[in-house]
This record gives sequence, structure tokens and C-alpha cells, in this order.
Amino acid sequence: MLRKLLFNTQVVLKQQPKLHHIRHLASPKILQLEQVHIDEAIKIEPTLSIFSPEIWRRAHETFQNHGLETVNFLRIVTGNPAVLKRTPDKIINSLEIWRACQFGENLLHLLLTKYPELLDISDSHQLLSQIGFIKSRVSTSKNVWKLLMNSPDLIAQPEETVEEKLNFIIDVMRVEVPELAKSAALSLPFSELRCRHEFLVRLGLFKPRPLKADPNEPTTNHKLYQITDTSEKSFATKICHVTLPEYEAFKELYAKELERKTRKAKEEEDSSDED
Amino acid sequence: MLKVRSIVLLPRRWKSGAKKRWNVLQNKKNNCDRAMDNFDDFYGSVYGSRWKNMRAALLTRHKYVAMVNNFGDTEQTCSMLETDGAINMKSLINLAQDRLKDSTETVPEQGKSRHEIEGKLDALFRKQQEREVASIYPSSGEDGSSNSLPQQLKFDNTEEKHPAEEEFNNPFKQSLTKALEEDVKLDEHRLVDPQFGTGGLYEYMPAHSIKGMEDWVAESEHYKYYQTSADFPLTIEPEASFHYPEHLSLYTYEMGNCSDFKGPKKCLTGVLSHFMMDGASTLPPLFLQVKPGERVLDACASPGGKSLLMLQTLHLDRLVCNDIQESRLNKLRKVMQEYLFDFKERWASKRLIFNQSDARNLDQYEQFDKILVDVPCTTDRHVLNEQDNNIFKPTRIKERLRIPELQAGILANCLRLLRPGGSLVYSTCSLSPIQNDGVVHMALQKVFTEYGITATIKDLSQHTALFSDVFKFEHPKGLKYGQMVVPYLPANFGPMYFSKITRNV
Repeated sequence: MLRKLLFNTQVVLKQQPKLHHIRHLASPKILQLEQVHIDEAIKIEPTLSIFSPEIWRRAHETFQNHGLETVNFLRIVTGNPAVLKRTPDKIINSLEIWRACQFGENLLHLLLTKYPELLDISDSHQLLSQIGFIKSRVSTSKNVWKLLMNSPDLIAQPEETVEEKLNFIIDVMRVEVPELAKSAALSLPFSELRCRHEFLVRLGLFKPRPLKADPNEPTTNHKLYQITDTSEKSFATKICHVTLPEYEAFKELYAKELERKTRKAKEEEDSSDED
Repeated sequence: MLKVRSIVLLPRRWKSGAKKRWNVLQNKKNNCDRAMDNFDDFYGSVYGSRWKNMRAALLTRHKYVAMVNNFGDTEQTCSMLETDGAINMKSLINLAQDRLKDSTETVPEQGKSRHEIEGKLDALFRKQQEREVASIYPSSGEDGSSNSLPQQLKFDNTEEKHPAEEEFNNPFKQSLTKALEEDVKLDEHRLVDPQFGTGGLYEYMPAHSIKGMEDWVAESEHYKYYQTSADFPLTIEPEASFHYPEHLSLYTYEMGNCSDFKGPKKCLTGVLSHFMMDGASTLPPLFLQVKPGERVLDACASPGGKSLLMLQTLHLDRLVCNDIQESRLNKLRKVMQEYLFDFKERWASKRLIFNQSDARNLDQYEQFDKILVDVPCTTDRHVLNEQDNNIFKPTRIKERLRIPELQAGILANCLRLLRPGGSLVYSTCSLSPIQNDGVVHMALQKVFTEYGITATIKDLSQHTALFSDVFKFEHPKGLKYGQMVVPYLPANFGPMYFSKITRNV
């Protein structure tokens, strides 16, 4: 039963905190860390067996003091066993770094539970500037949080790549921020994103919305998450309705086309320099 | 030496130079976009869901095959291409021949489901016509003055003649006053009240054409060219045999491999080592099956790839290359000079004859054994990717809509140039059924009614199966008279339609 409770991934994937609460009201809350819990966790992540009960207790207390429930604590340590190695001060430090992003306690806990690796971040300055930059593009903290829930690698990507992708999605694909936040588009490399978009455009299946079109007007375009959060095969067959070899051939041809274009532009630049 | 006078100041205008306002950018529609819209509409309804695959392929770079020049270092070139991983088409065909011998699968006969395409085209024609009528009479429904739209648009060229004749018989002023007295059904809104002066009445002239629309041609006119009623004798029979020319070496990469070939090099004999052309363009001359000692005409030869291929079979005694413009012929001459050894001494005006004229006006009737008729068409791949020389330019609309007429004219004349028993291959690089089957039909009808010439269509579908490892063919069910290579991303050749016609003895 515990395992079911602990690792019901559905709970984690549900991004709505409300639902989360309802589930917890239904099942009894675990407040104490008991040996059964530790045993279960070790079963799932054997590397945890090296830690003494004292360490377990200490870490649990630290997390509990910061408002994380036992269930979430267990999820975090099984996902990222290295957390247990750290002193309470260090744990508190990394929690504080994340708290500074101002997602709100509840959302933050959800984020950290889903991606325990995020606790490894130690450079608060870099994180904050990155979050600030994303926020400047998507306007609210909630949106930043949604983006991170979908693509946690965002904080590790250089600002220029993120900007390139955001510009492309917003200016070229004309996809609005709410739709962007629902997809993992930003985890995709820029070239892949551009290739998928261009393929859909050439197939005639994606028409970027006119700038002054009514946003409530329904489009026949595929949703961004359908385009980006799919494997290559299902993108080709389910979204584009073509065969995989066709998409693969397109990828190759398009890469060549772009390479030719850049080479041409470079040559022109060189020749104009000579003039 | 630097004098103040020699410095020229060029004032540069910043404000209007590059317009970047969204409405300017958005409303700008270039020739390629126009072509795309037209194709989406037309081919979308003809090919259904398969159109999007062709669309993506058309917009992406096409694939080449390399034709080895037999007048250069042939063996070296072949081994160079082979080390790059290219495959000789001849070996592919031999393999396919063996495979087909074993399996006795029957290819469905030509044109069995063509009524489908007829229905589609008919619907398209009606839709386009309705749209055009609605765009000319937009408010007729609202004011209720005329409940039914005119069924068809009439064009000013034909209409204008009638008022002119009437004018000649009774002077204009008279007829108007007479009309004012007699015609009680006149539109009240358009009556000139005499209280404001009758002067206006004498200046009034009824509209006979719409200003700015004098040159307007309805798009729907184009779709009329696809007729289906056959009132001429026609037999379709399978082509008996197909021989791949012994000396011809064509190299290609297998399906799915998008590698490029190396550029041609200069050989010892001073000619270039290989010629690169769209793979589908090799099929019309191959299916023409030129045999040694035959007189051959290439009716629309430039830029010369297909002519060169026929020369590379080493079967030809005489080839006449015709094209309509001197500039195009010059292009052709340049290609031949680059690829034929001793061009000036041995080829020019001896075995290779250049002729500049409209293919509709050639009059060496019943002179040729084989004719390649690669007519001008909408060149679907070109118009989608190049702005220059684009037939979807608004000023060329008349030319574009009348293309089928031109094509049928050329084909009909070439049928007359053919010796009885000789055969020709008609080819276009368009997906349009009008320019393909429609034109073949029109031309056959024309030569029968005007000159009594009958012809036999050769069904090549048995032999195109040999090439199915390299090309993607349109299923022969949907085509009436020919075969077609359709663009397909892993084998991005074509489009290329070709139909082999033999003149009956």
C-alpha cells in the first residue's frame, strides 16, 4: 500500500495542487518516519542502505521543518540519494535558493518532488538570473514553474539557446505562452524544433496564426505539446501522417539545405568584404 | 589627388527603404505563394491526403542522378561514383527483372478508376466557377435584385463585339432614349432625375466592361481542358518489351539515401565527366527506346539533359534539337559543347542539328521515327521554389491558363511529324491531370478530327515496375494514358508524367 502511495506517478504528474490535496485527505497522512518506510525506500533504491537511521531521521526532520511531507521526502531521497549525504545546513541552503524563486511553497514542493536532482543546484546567483530571464519572457512565476515542471533542464541551458527557442516559438510559430507552458518544447534542441516545425509547414499542416487573429478562434494546427513531446516515430506517423523514412529523409535534406544557406550567406559576406 | 569634388555623396533614405510593418510583411504575396495556393486547392482535391506528402517533397531539394559521359574517362568516372556509394541503375533493373520473373503478380490495368479523377475535376471546376461568379457579383444576394447568379462568366473579348455591331445600325443616343421610353423595368436607382439636368443623360453610357478587369481571365477556364468523352478511335495496349541501353550508365543512390554527387570534372578529352539531372527526367528518353539508325527529334530540347541522354546511348545517327528561343538553344549548345568530344568537327550540324522554331510550326511531316515531346508546363517544382521566370506571375495568367492549349498544339503537331508506325513520348514535369492526360486526350482528338491520324497508347506500367526501387510511381489506376513519377521525400524525384504514343500505320 505504501509503495502505491509513494510512487503513484500519477500524483506527481498531476500538476494541479488541488487534486493532490484531495488525494491526501482521502488517505491517512504519514507524519512519522518509520522503519517500514525506510525499508521500502531501500528496496527501490538500494544505494540508500548505507545510511544510518540517525541520518535518515535528521534529514527527514530537516525536510519536515521546511514543510515537506514525509511522502515527498521519501520520493526525493529515492530520486536523489545523494541528498542524504548532505548536512542539514546544506539541504536548507539549497531549499532556500529555490524558495527565492517565489513559486509558492506548494508548487515548489511539487517541483522538487518531481525532480529531486534540482536540489543539487548550489549557484543561487546563476539560478535566479536564469529564472528572472525566463520570467521576463513568460510574464508570471506560475508560467516559469509550469515550464520547469515540463522541462527541468531549462535552468542548465545557456540563456542564448533558450532565447533562440523562445523567439522561434513565439515569433515564427506564433504559439502563445499558455500553450508553450504546457509543452516540453524548450527541452528540445533548437535544430530539432525548427526541423519539426518546418516539416509541418511544408506538409501544409501548420499555418502560423496571423498576428491580429482572434486568439479564441480555433486553429487546425497541432498543439505544441503534440509537436514537441513525441518521439520521432509517433511525430511522423501520428501527427504528420507520413512514414518514418519520409521524415528521416526530410531531416537530412533540411539540414543540408540550411548548411547550404549559411555557406552561401557566408560567401556573400566575404565577397562584399572584399569590395 | 583626393579632391573634395570627387567625393560623391549618396543620400540614403531610411524611412521607406525597408518596410517592416507587420501588415506590409503579411500582405505580401509572391509568385511562389500564389503557386502554392493554387496547387493546394487543385492538387489537394485531386490527390487527397497524398498531396501533403508531395507538397513537402516539392518544397524540399530534389535528388539527382549522375549520367556518366561516354565521351570522357568513362571507367574512371564510374569507379569514382561507385566508391562514393552510388549504384548503377542498370544493375538495379537487372535485379528487378529477375524478381519480377519469379512473381506473377498482375499489375492493374491502366485507367480503371479514372472516373474518380473526372468527378474530382468536375467538382473542382464547378467550385472555382462559383467562387469567381461570387467574387464578381458579391452583393447580388443582398439587394435581391437578381436572385439567380449567372451560370457562367462571359468574357469581354467575345462580348464587346455585339454592342459594336448594334451601334453601327442605330446611333447610340437614339437607342438610349428609346430604351428610356419603352423599358419600364429600368432600375429605379440608376435613373437620372431630369430636375438635376438632363445633360447627364447624354453622357451616360452603359458599362460593358469592368475597369481594371479587362485582362481578367477566370481561373475556372483552365479546368475545362480536361475532357473525357472519347469520340475518336483509341487503343491502349501494353508495351511489348523494354531494353535498357547497353552503353548508358546512370548512377543513383538508393531510396532514403540523400547524399550528393561530386561535381563533374574535366576529362582527358576535354569534356566533363558526368551530367547531373533530375532522376525522373531520364525516364522519357529511356522509354522512347531509340534504336540504331533512327531519326529522332527533341521538340522542346533545352536545357538538354534528355537529348544528351539519348546521345549517350550511342544509338543515334541524327538528332534534331528544336526549341522556341535562341537563348534556350544557346544554353543547349553550351551543354553539348561541354559534354560531346569534338563537338564542332564531328557533331554540330552533322549528326546534331539545332533548329529554332515553335514546335507547333514544324512542317517536316512524317519524317521522324522517334520524337521526344517534353513540353513547357507549369514546372511544379520550379514555380514553388524560384521567383524568377515564374509562370504564376500575375501578368502571365493568360499564358498559364492557356498552357494546355499550347501543349496540345505541340503534341498534335508532333504526331503529324511522326512517320506512321513511329512513336513519341509526351512528358511534362507537372502533377496536373489537365496538362497530362487531358492534353494527350485533346491532342489525339485534334489529330483525328483534323488529319485523320489515329494512334495507340502504349501502357508502360509493366516496365515502370522495373524502376520501382528507385522512383515512386503514381498508381497506374488513377492515370488514363501515361505513367507518373511523384515526388516522395526519400526518393525526391519528379514530378514527371510521360505517355508513349505510337502512330498507327
